[in-house]
Amino acid sequence: MPSNGPVTSSRALLAILLVALTIVTLWGCERHEKFDDSEIVESSSLGDQPIEPLPLTVDFDPARAALGEALFAEPRLSGDSKVACTDCHHEGHGLADDKPHSSVTGRPDSAVNSPTMYNVRFLYKLSWGGKYESLETHIDALMVNPKVMASSWETATKHLAEVADYRRKFASVFADGLTPSNVRLAILDYERSLVTPNSPFDQYLRGNAQAVSPEVKRGYAMFKSYGCSSCHQGVAIGGNLFERFGVLRDFFADRGHFDNADLGRFNVTQRDQDRFVFRVPSLRNVALTAPYFHDGSAATLEEAVTDMANYQLGRDLPERDRSALVAFLRSLTGEYRGQAL
Amino acid sequence: MNVSRILRASLALVLAAFLGLLAYSTVESIDSAEEQAYGRDLRRVQAVTSELNERVLKSRSALMIQYDPLVHALHDLQRLHERLKHVPDFLGEDAAFDMQDQLKKSEAQLREKDELVESFKTHNSVLQNSLHFFPILANSVIDRARVAPHGATVASRIQALIAAIMLFDTSADAESSARVQAAQLDLSAEKQAAHALELDHELELILAHSRIILERKPIADRIVQQILAVPLPRMARALEEAYSRHYRSATARALLVRQILFALAFGTVVLGLTDVILRMRRSAQALQVATGELREANAALAREREKERQLGELKTRFVSMTSHEFRTPLSVIVSSTELLENYSERWEAERRMDHLERIRSAARSMDRMLDDILIIGRAEAGVLRPSPAQMNLEEFCRHLVESLEHSSARSHCIRYSFSGDPEVTLDERLLSEVVGNLLSNALKYSPPGSQVHFDVVANDEQCRFEVKDEGIGIPEADIPRLFQSFFRASNADQIKGSGLGLAVVKKALDVQNGTIEVQSSLGAGTQFVVRVPRDLSVSRSSSAEL
Repeated sequence: MPSNGPVTSSRALLAILLVALTIVTLWGCERHEKFDDSEIVESSSLGDQPIEPLPLTVDFDPARAALGEALFAEPRLSGDSKVACTDCHHEGHGLADDKPHSSVTGRPDSAVNSPTMYNVRFLYKLSWGGKYESLETHIDALMVNPKVMASSWETATKHLAEVADYRRKFASVFADGLTPSNVRLAILDYERSLVTPNSPFDQYLRGNAQAVSPEVKRGYAMFKSYGCSSCHQGVAIGGNLFERFGVLRDFFADRGHFDNADLGRFNVTQRDQDRFVFRVPSLRNVALTAPYFHDGSAATLEEAVTDMANYQLGRDLPERDRSALVAFLRSLTGEYRGQAL
Repeated sequence: MNVSRILRASLALVLAAFLGLLAYSTVESIDSAEEQAYGRDLRRVQAVTSELNERVLKSRSALMIQYDPLVHALHDLQRLHERLKHVPDFLGEDAAFDMQDQLKKSEAQLREKDELVESFKTHNSVLQNSLHFFPILANSVIDRARVAPHGATVASRIQALIAAIMLFDTSADAESSARVQAAQLDLSAEKQAAHALELDHELELILAHSRIILERKPIADRIVQQILAVPLPRMARALEEAYSRHYRSATARALLVRQILFALAFGTVVLGLTDVILRMRRSAQALQVATGELREANAALAREREKERQLGELKTRFVSMTSHEFRTPLSVIVSSTELLENYSERWEAERRMDHLERIRSAARSMDRMLDDILIIGRAEAGVLRPSPAQMNLEEFCRHLVESLEHSSARSHCIRYSFSGDPEVTLDERLLSEVVGNLLSNALKYSPPGSQVHFDVVANDEQCRFEVKDEGIGIPEADIPRLFQSFFRASNADQIKGSGLGLAVVKKALDVQNGTIEVQSSLGAGTQFVVRVPRDLSVSRSSSAEL
């Protein structure tokens, strides 16, 4: 047959067409994929207690967090390679500053006291004025802030690229190695890993009645009855609302001088009702992070408790109640990586 | 061929369209997982918004004593909005634009709601603290005042304030507000008494908390109303409606694309099948043609073989005929020669002359036969060529007639006529073969005394020779083979002849571009009409030119 070749190729063509038809038919079939809904955090149960224990485990990438921990102490992140995060967030001081205002070489003193980095993932808004809505926006701003890191992710990455160890570590953790985006992600994962669960009081909340002393239990009762828990509540015992510093008495008048930083949230929103309004800080690990308040004006926990009762609640604390409250606050110091802080 | 080319071109076109659309539809295809996730996120916005509202109300009424559920709900809403910004691709650009627009509006509402909730938390925590602490503080002061001397008034004023505050907390209208203010004024008037009781600090605190309640409760209530009034659920519903509208049109689009794809695939298959069928039919036709050709070739081969066989037969007949034809005159020659040898001395001169004449006649007959055979042979070998020369046709014909009349001993009368210009350029020898043979045949096959008409017309173009006898005629069946060598008509058996004469005529005419026509009726006579060009040299050269 002279046209044998073309007929064969036509058959092949037919076969291809049939396959295509089958694909078109199958294409209509629905694909069912499990949608990852874990990002949406379910709201916690409405417990009777104003305070909830910290979760014992949280999700983060350990390899990235390890890299981020190294970067946290790395001056190369800053524009002049002189300032590291740990210069203000001291590792031995609950990742807060032991001085009222952080003082770092080549930078003006900080306007406010550097707060702890522990449990930041549980804060609704960040900084004393609540300027940042997320860890991402917070760290992005600090990197380029000339008073803080005076750098950029690109600059920091360039500095880090000079160190072979970083290049190697990033290459082992990230598919695309050392990039500005990955430097940022590593630090963010470290920040998310900074959780301090299992404090004595959390153990008590979880049902271990022996975890805390009667004094602490009495302090907790004071904490609720005095009205501290009106603001310091939730899993972070604060950190989820703003409140005026000096509700019943004028703190700033008593302190005697006025600072722009005292305007608090007003500096963020420029709204009159936000003058002297601050983010209510978390009381987790509060025993480790003296001095207290945005201006670091309270050197000890006792002073801070006294000031709070005075200016926020309009009350003078009897010594007995104050020591119970302080005992309660000391029971809020948790564990980091299984070690008591 | 043309049809199949068009067919294949359209097949390629349809296939290309099919594949193109398939690629497009894969890009635009509805990802059901993405679609489901997006739809669920949209519904979650509504659900989380109502959860948020419910939690605000619970916080306001102190049924919920922490704000984490509030901030979680807000946080969820923010993340949902962030996620909803990634509008599924299959909706198309316009729909994505529309959705983004709606999302922006919804986000603005969410920001407003977030600010209101922040404000609510600030006021509510202070208010809740005062609402909680005020009755405790007030009652403890009343207890202390009652036991002190002159403390009854203070205690009753505080009692009145508690009552006013409780009423205000239940229904915060102008009247209850005025009553609280009046009770505050009454209590303030007791500052001296309180000082005396060493309760002035507590009195201040009671008043401060009552002021907080008086001031912040309306604020907190107003903010709650505002929070509930933020049209976020409506935005979410609008978003979901817009989404389902776009989704429906995307589905319709996808369905249309699928239908077109199906039609294209079907068209491709049909065209492909048609192509295959056409090719098969074409090859069948080719087979048929080849078979036909083969059959024809076979037939040609058979014909060739038949011709060969006929040729062989002809040769055999030629040899037998020639040998026969030659034997007759040869036997005459041999017998006459023998007779002359034995009896010439005894025979008188007349008888000797008779036999000598027989010998000469036989020899002449053989000579003529040989001439005929030679002419046919040369014609068949293709070497017979006319040598035209100027001649007088009339004269030529007359001599021929006379010579034939003479040789036939004037038993027949030839009626000869000539018209036209007698000066022609022809091959005299070949012409004499043609005309001589025709005339001698006419004489031979006609009864003695019958007439033979010989009419010659020489016009400008050609010469026409007509020979008409009244002889035995030729059977019609024999006419087609009349000019074959050695063919003799079936009714000519009784008459001597070699069967070469008309073959010679035909061959001689062929080389002169002449024609011959024959008409005959059996027993009535035969008419031959011969036409040759008048000037053979001209016609030859002209044909050579051609």
